[in-house]
Amino acid sequence: MERDVIRKVPLVKPGEPGMIVEEAPTEELAGYPSVGRRIPRRDTIFQVLGQLKYINDLSFPGMLYAKVLRSRYAHARILRVDVSKALEVPGVVAAITADDIPVNSFGPSLQDQPVLAKDKVRHMGDGIAAVAAVSEQIAEEALEKIVVEYEPLPVVLDPLEAMREDAPRIHEPRSNIYWEWHIRKGDVEKALAEAHLVVQERYRTQMVEHVSMETHSSIAMWDAGGRLTVWCTVGRITLARTDLARILQVPVSRVRVVSTQLGGNFGGKNEITIEPVLAILAKKTGRPVKGTYSRKEEFIASTTRHPFIMEYTSGVTAEGRIIARKVRLIADGGAYCSWSETTLGKATILSAGPYDIPNIALDGYVVYTNKPMTGAMRGFGAPQVCFAYESHMDTIAHRLGMDPLQIRLLNAYDEGSISATGQILHSVALKKTLLAAAERFGWEVKER
Amino acid sequence: MKKRGRGIACMWYPIGFTVSANPSAAVVKVNEDGTATVLTGTVEIGQGSLTVLAQIAAEELGISPRDVIMVSADTDGTPVDTGAIASRTTYVTGNAIRLAAKEAKKILFEVAAPMLGVRTDQLETRQGRIWVIDFPQKNISIGEVAYYSQVKLGRPVQGSASWNPPTVPLDPQTGQGKPFNTYVYATQIAEVEVDTETGQVDVLRIVAAHDCGTPINPMLVEGQIQGGISMGVGFALSEEMVFSSNGTLLTSSLSNYLIPTTVDMPEIEVIIVDNYDPTGPFGAKGVGEPTLVPTAAAILNAIYDAVGVRLYSLPATPEKVLKALREKEAQNNTASSTH
Amino acid sequence: MAFTIKVKVNGEWKTADVEPEMTLLELLREQWGLTGTKLGCDEGDCGACTVLFDGKPVNSCLVLAVRADGHEVVTVEGLGTAERPHPLQSAFEQHGAVQCGFCAPGMLISAKALLDANPEPTEQEIREALAGNLCRCTGYTKIVEAVKSAGRAMKSSVK
Repeated sequence: MERDVIRKVPLVKPGEPGMIVEEAPTEELAGYPSVGRRIPRRDTIFQVLGQLKYINDLSFPGMLYAKVLRSRYAHARILRVDVSKALEVPGVVAAITADDIPVNSFGPSLQDQPVLAKDKVRHMGDGIAAVAAVSEQIAEEALEKIVVEYEPLPVVLDPLEAMREDAPRIHEPRSNIYWEWHIRKGDVEKALAEAHLVVQERYRTQMVEHVSMETHSSIAMWDAGGRLTVWCTVGRITLARTDLARILQVPVSRVRVVSTQLGGNFGGKNEITIEPVLAILAKKTGRPVKGTYSRKEEFIASTTRHPFIMEYTSGVTAEGRIIARKVRLIADGGAYCSWSETTLGKATILSAGPYDIPNIALDGYVVYTNKPMTGAMRGFGAPQVCFAYESHMDTIAHRLGMDPLQIRLLNAYDEGSISATGQILHSVALKKTLLAAAERFGWEVKER
Repeated sequence: MKKRGRGIACMWYPIGFTVSANPSAAVVKVNEDGTATVLTGTVEIGQGSLTVLAQIAAEELGISPRDVIMVSADTDGTPVDTGAIASRTTYVTGNAIRLAAKEAKKILFEVAAPMLGVRTDQLETRQGRIWVIDFPQKNISIGEVAYYSQVKLGRPVQGSASWNPPTVPLDPQTGQGKPFNTYVYATQIAEVEVDTETGQVDVLRIVAAHDCGTPINPMLVEGQIQGGISMGVGFALSEEMVFSSNGTLLTSSLSNYLIPTTVDMPEIEVIIVDNYDPTGPFGAKGVGEPTLVPTAAAILNAIYDAVGVRLYSLPATPEKVLKALREKEAQNNTASSTH
Repeated sequence: MAFTIKVKVNGEWKTADVEPEMTLLELLREQWGLTGTKLGCDEGDCGACTVLFDGKPVNSCLVLAVRADGHEVVTVEGLGTAERPHPLQSAFEQHGAVQCGFCAPGMLISAKALLDANPEPTEQEIREALAGNLCRCTGYTKIVEAVKSAGRAMKSSVK
């Protein structure tokens, strides 16, 4: 996929032995020094000519198309699944259910997610069965012939409700609270008692989707030697390979995962989704099988950004020094863990903000609900807590009659500051960014 | 009435995984024509990482980034990489590639030193050639050395290396530890206009000052910041997955789940502040995720500055803004009537 | 029942047998292998599948293939070549206007339709012309810059 067909060996003097010079570029064109240079991307020309092949642009002879049947309920027991009628549809080659999956669980932290739901569905994006057919349309039509009997269960959508002892358990018998993070520094209660002003607020954020313009797409194919190759829109091919090997119960070395370039990721393509289903259908049919998410599936059957409930209590001096901060985070963790552990971890660690605060107590909880999975998304919990700690900062400034820029400069981390987790920070350019932005914007300090 | 306001928000953001190992490995081969091939297991997701990584390899080898061929994204053909996640590619994969390029350069120097009649520590690379320091009359092309090394000496010029950021696990009770090796910092300031009749918020301007260590490719850094801000504008004002009481998603298409379009995006002014992190490749850290982190807070603070209402939940839809304005009005009326 | 249709695609007449429910997008991508045009939503919301239909930009996922019978269609593959890229393609490259690139083919087609009709658009006109093409990566800043610069380049090359 390289554009540079003309090989340039720059600055070889005439008559000097060496390589053949096809073009002697100027220094500017040659790009020295390399670091710090605004050079255009080398792959863009393929993109703008329409030549870059994304996964959904690839196809193989004899390739089949897979579609997954999604749940009708957000929370229900599955009593029976019957795919026999789907198999009778002309053009359908194979159909599978949870019973066809060697190890029916995966996930980067907790392996709590089934490839296809067996006994229970926990949100409407859960897959129950899948078919492979000669066309996507036929596969889609065949899904309607699959019979599923459900026993609906009470649906829990609100994380606060899901935290209650008597809430319906989504992963019974476990509690709906599935991960916690705690950080302590100094004596927060004592400092709050001594503060000139205590400000307490609660913030909430919503569930959002990555909306990569390219939807998830993959192709699975087995070779005669029993090795599986998966071409997929996954940004973490190493993890995809180990996950696939575990689910399919084959050695890791028998799985090859290949990507080309992703049409957007933003954290939404960091783990497998439909790939194990494709691999099993490909094995069953002996043919390559492709599966591509619809836009709707992107919303319901891929990960999303965690909604957060964030309680902030801060104690400040009359001069505006923050001396204590208490944070309680509750993350709506959706139906499965995915990257919740990391998201909650980063959110908790970052939640006090980039401020030198001596007394800190930070607690984070993530809770199952009957909503789409929440996982990695650009910022891993940081956009949520930043919305809270920076709104909270302005409230404090307002209550003290201070300028928002001044209160930040007064409390901001500097070179050598010690973080909430006790780490000595280096390369700290926070004040530089505050001052640079303020200067460019033309920020005038206003105090009351 | 339309009212304008300004809002500021700053943030910090870590590079790499939280404590957990997230290594990158890389192989750098110097070809017989003086170009280099880099093997990396990362995947280009659109941010331009392969271009940035090529620039890092080129800088270390002293060749043009145009002469670096990137091979990526294949578990059979490329070395292990934790992937394009956690804003780690420039920092972690970049460090691995730089170290691998150094290994290759070491061979180039060992072969070139006797050819030029000097010691290896007297050599440097630049512009596709190996030079004797302080005596530029003596130099030789990298391609010539690589060819000689491979074909005459039987010693192909290549290096391999891996890198994993050093961390300290957090204490389970107190959370004390070193979860990440480095962090980046940023400030964004938004100017908004709020229509008090409709609750509509227009973002007029955003100034974004970001620290990413050394910007390996400032044009691509700007692109990350501008794009992150668009995601932040959507998070602040319009994007929301709404469910019915039985758990059905009511916003499952792009006609009712609204991401910013060309006409929703404000003027964005990007400042990359000067910084250098000695633990990153040529001082670089990262930029992918932090770009959207402060945007929503800056916008919501600007709404507060414009109309005096604090919104405690996102997104700040016109309905929500209008409701808050009405409530404030009602409060003011009650307050004034008691006077 | 299949229909035989004739479409002028990127300057060349092509025939195809199509089912009545087949979309123009499916015809281009699956029958003719013109995968430059992308499928982003299949609902006419994202603009990734934009092609020129008799010179006007349309979402090819919403157009039935049979409707194209006797008409002219231009896809991103018809804009330029590696040797002779369209000024818009060069400008997108030089300005860093492309990140993941999935929206780029549709974006380029909409921009071409704009510049064909209005060689000197204002920034607002560019933004309005591209409002139907969603991009999640760039924030559109560099795309707008690239379209402006391509307009200037096209104008100076005409002189």
